Amino acid sequence: MHMSEKIIHEANERAAKYFSRRHFLQDCITGLGATALGSLLGGCNIFSGSGSGEMPQSLNPLEPRAPHFPARAKSVIYLHMAGAPSQLELFDYKPELQKLHNQLCPPSILEGKKFAFIRGVPKMLGPQAVFSQHGESRAWVSDHLPHFSKMVDDVSFLKAVQTDQFNHGPAQLFMHTGSARLGRPSIGSWVTYGLGSENSNLPGFVVLTSGGKTPDAGKSVWGSGFLPSVYQGVQCRSKGDPVLYITDPEGMDRDMRYQSIHAINEVNKLEYEAFQDPEILSRISQYELAYKMQISVPGVMDINDEPEYIHQLYGTQPGKEAFANNCLLARKLVEKGVRFVQLFDWGWDTHGTGEDLSIDYGLRNKSREIDKPISALLLDLKQRGLLDETLVVWGGEFGRTPMQENRDGKEMPYLGRDHHVEAFTMWMAGAGIRKGGSWGETDEIGFAAVKGKVAVHDIHATILQQMGFDHEKLTYQFQGRPFRLTDVGGHVIHEILG
Amino acid sequence: MMTLLQGNWSLFIGRFHPLLVHLPIGMLIVAFILEVMSKNRRLAVLSAAVLPVLVFGALSAVAACIAGWLLSTSGGYDEDALDLHMWMGIGVAAISVLLCVFRRYALFRNAWLPVSFVMIVLLSAAGHFGGNLTHGEDYLTAALPFGKNRSAEATPAIANLPEAKVYDQLVMPILEEKCYSCHNEAKLKGGLRLDGMDNIKKGGENGPVIKDSVPEASELYKRLVLSESDDKRMPPKGKPQLTPQQLEILYWWIEQGASPTATVKELHRTARMQLVLDGMKPSGGSDANPFVPQEEVSEASGQDVAALEKIGVKVMPVANENGFVMINAVNAPGFGNKEAELLLPLKKQIVWLKLSNTQTGDSALKLISQLPELTRLHLENTPVTDAGLTHLAGCKQLKYLNLVGTKVTDKGILLLQKNAALKELFLYKTAVTPAALGQLRKAMPEMKIDTGGYVMPVLVTDTLVYRKQRT
Repeated sequence: MHMSEKIIHEANERAAKYFSRRHFLQDCITGLGATALGSLLGGCNIFSGSGSGEMPQSLNPLEPRAPHFPARAKSVIYLHMAGAPSQLELFDYKPELQKLHNQLCPPSILEGKKFAFIRGVPKMLGPQAVFSQHGESRAWVSDHLPHFSKMVDDVSFLKAVQTDQFNHGPAQLFMHTGSARLGRPSIGSWVTYGLGSENSNLPGFVVLTSGGKTPDAGKSVWGSGFLPSVYQGVQCRSKGDPVLYITDPEGMDRDMRYQSIHAINEVNKLEYEAFQDPEILSRISQYELAYKMQISVPGVMDINDEPEYIHQLYGTQPGKEAFANNCLLARKLVEKGVRFVQLFDWGWDTHGTGEDLSIDYGLRNKSREIDKPISALLLDLKQRGLLDETLVVWGGEFGRTPMQENRDGKEMPYLGRDHHVEAFTMWMAGAGIRKGGSWGETDEIGFAAVKGKVAVHDIHATILQQMGFDHEKLTYQFQGRPFRLTDVGGHVIHEILG
Repeated sequence: MMTLLQGNWSLFIGRFHPLLVHLPIGMLIVAFILEVMSKNRRLAVLSAAVLPVLVFGALSAVAACIAGWLLSTSGGYDEDALDLHMWMGIGVAAISVLLCVFRRYALFRNAWLPVSFVMIVLLSAAGHFGGNLTHGEDYLTAALPFGKNRSAEATPAIANLPEAKVYDQLVMPILEEKCYSCHNEAKLKGGLRLDGMDNIKKGGENGPVIKDSVPEASELYKRLVLSESDDKRMPPKGKPQLTPQQLEILYWWIEQGASPTATVKELHRTARMQLVLDGMKPSGGSDANPFVPQEEVSEASGQDVAALEKIGVKVMPVANENGFVMINAVNAPGFGNKEAELLLPLKKQIVWLKLSNTQTGDSALKLISQLPELTRLHLENTPVTDAGLTHLAGCKQLKYLNLVGTKVTDKGILLLQKNAALKELFLYKTAVTPAALGQLRKAMPEMKIDTGGYVMPVLVTDTLVYRKQRT
């Protein structure tokens, strides 16, 4: 068969599929049902109770929309340390744990607990860092983060965050989609679904990775789940061109590319009129966005045109894949009105199985890699008057045990800590977050949360709150019921606001 | 010895009053119900059960009266309210005893039901006034599900914290919530009333409760921080306690002279209090954003919005069902003085205006100065100069001004003193000198000025890679 015949055949087959008797009957029934339901629910709209149902829905799913109430944050920069950094070497100072160093863990602590790798009775591992108090807020930060320790009066710590997943994949999914199982939209998707994109030449949700690997949970951590796929995070490459084919290929000028995309979208619009499938709208807007990005992305995503003192501030090395570069890019994107910038930095899984993944060496090196960039990001946002309207979130998917890991009951070559779900530290800054705040406490050895426990859904509720959403009202109808990021949980952490 | 024993016992028995009263309430009501039911011919047999129940009810009523009288001798109650409750209680006991006699000797058969009814009415009234004595007069009415919502009134959202009256808006709500129930007009525990400034000044039976601005010497604070097992601890064990923030507020108020009229702004803010005040600033919530006015405004006309959208300027309501709008020209780098005229039809609605990296110049600022509700203005990397800032005095509500990367100088920023509401000013990458900054800071101490240019020290550890020593 000739190529063109094949395409025509495929088109006919697809059309036939849609117009089969079975489909006709199915459409009649679901159509009737939907009409009935629609009239029952009245002007039901994606924001329950917003009552703007009479507005004709724009063909552009990324059209900016208003939140539930005036927002404190216009953008979010979420810094995820994939693999889970050790709170006991960075922020949660436990002198008592030092005294117990190398002693066998009391069985009362282990009773009824499950760990990812610890077996039998492990030894306690004292803090492998020197802690001191910083700033007016007297926050404890270790010598692993000498630059960040000067920033403590701008951030609020959450010292007793809890999760219920002790493996990376599920825990990362839980942290970013509110569910440990696949299929839910990520925080950034919910935010872009709720707010659209202010900059029509850039995606509302951009993802940047560093550390050599993507997170264990894969790209689902920035997926759109059951939301239309236009709301998923757009991953930009950290090395080389941030977006592929950003330059015009040989023999194909800009105008011709515009014409082809225009033609494709005309066809897609006809498809949409026929089938009303929102995924077609996603397709159209993604083609359009891709074309627009070719114009704006080279400027926004190019850190080479930044002055030298900015490179020094962040410690950036243009051309390399680095967390520092991504931090600088995050600032540039936020400046251009991108709603949600998600950074993933891989390499924090310090079990002690190797030098790079150890508490004694790897963690120090990873800390150095982020120390200057995150401090620079906060300072740079501050001096540009953007920290005020940008929420910065830092954290991992869980924490690490106060016990030394003894994988398979054996001594490890390096010092390591196992995955720990009961208490770990995160921090937030900017956009209405209390300056120099701290909420939550752990027990004397940093094993369990004793005060100010914060659940993963509470983090979500707080992020949405600062973006102007009541987390209970930002819902999407799927499989017969409204879904939300915080499922049936979530309390805004008022203790770190204001 | 004898008196001591007597004193102890009377109060001990007296404290059984709240327990004992529930016996006559239950029994006498049952007796009344049986009395009514027995009027039905098929249930006439129930008549026989009335007397035993009535006897127990009458005995417990008498016991409750005695215990109540013993409790009343401990003092601390409003005499009038107490008298009313006491005589009603005694009335109930008397009628129930009378009814027992009538029943036992089958006297005045026809009066049984009416007298029982009177007894129940009296019982209800006595119970109600007794409840008022214990819980305070407005215990019941405060929880009314309709009408004025009193609990919301007790903890008002303080929108303008610096102007808030310390006593009226911070202290009184605490006393009302945690202290009034025992220290009110009706129930003067320890002879002390805390409702109203005059009563607080009067003090209780042990003298004044506020002493010379020293919280640690003032009973009003001292007793709140005693150990919970201490007899003198207030509120007593088991009652709702004050939160740490509430304690801090009382401490501060007494320390600063317990003024009945001072506002938050007038008193010296200690570091401890500043933390509490920070926590009280409205945060989150629909009406809490400090950059959006509280009042309502009509929606912007679709035509005016469309004119701006046409040149690529995004116009968005700050929230659903809110007329105020935020405007962002991120997609309209050509936005300049001419285009600024399109803003004027929306002058009642515009609160946030983001014109960064556009061609907005001085004559555009003249138009922008006609936006009375404007609170946030982004002008970074625009061609505005000092000449433009002369116009900005018109924006009385302006709280946030971003002039990063503009040509403004000392002369221009000193003009900003006229913008009394200004709280945040960003001057990174401008030619403003420290001298002018000093002058501005002195004139507007509340304003936060950021001139940026941050650098981080170079540390040895910045480049130090940790590796295991290999041999």
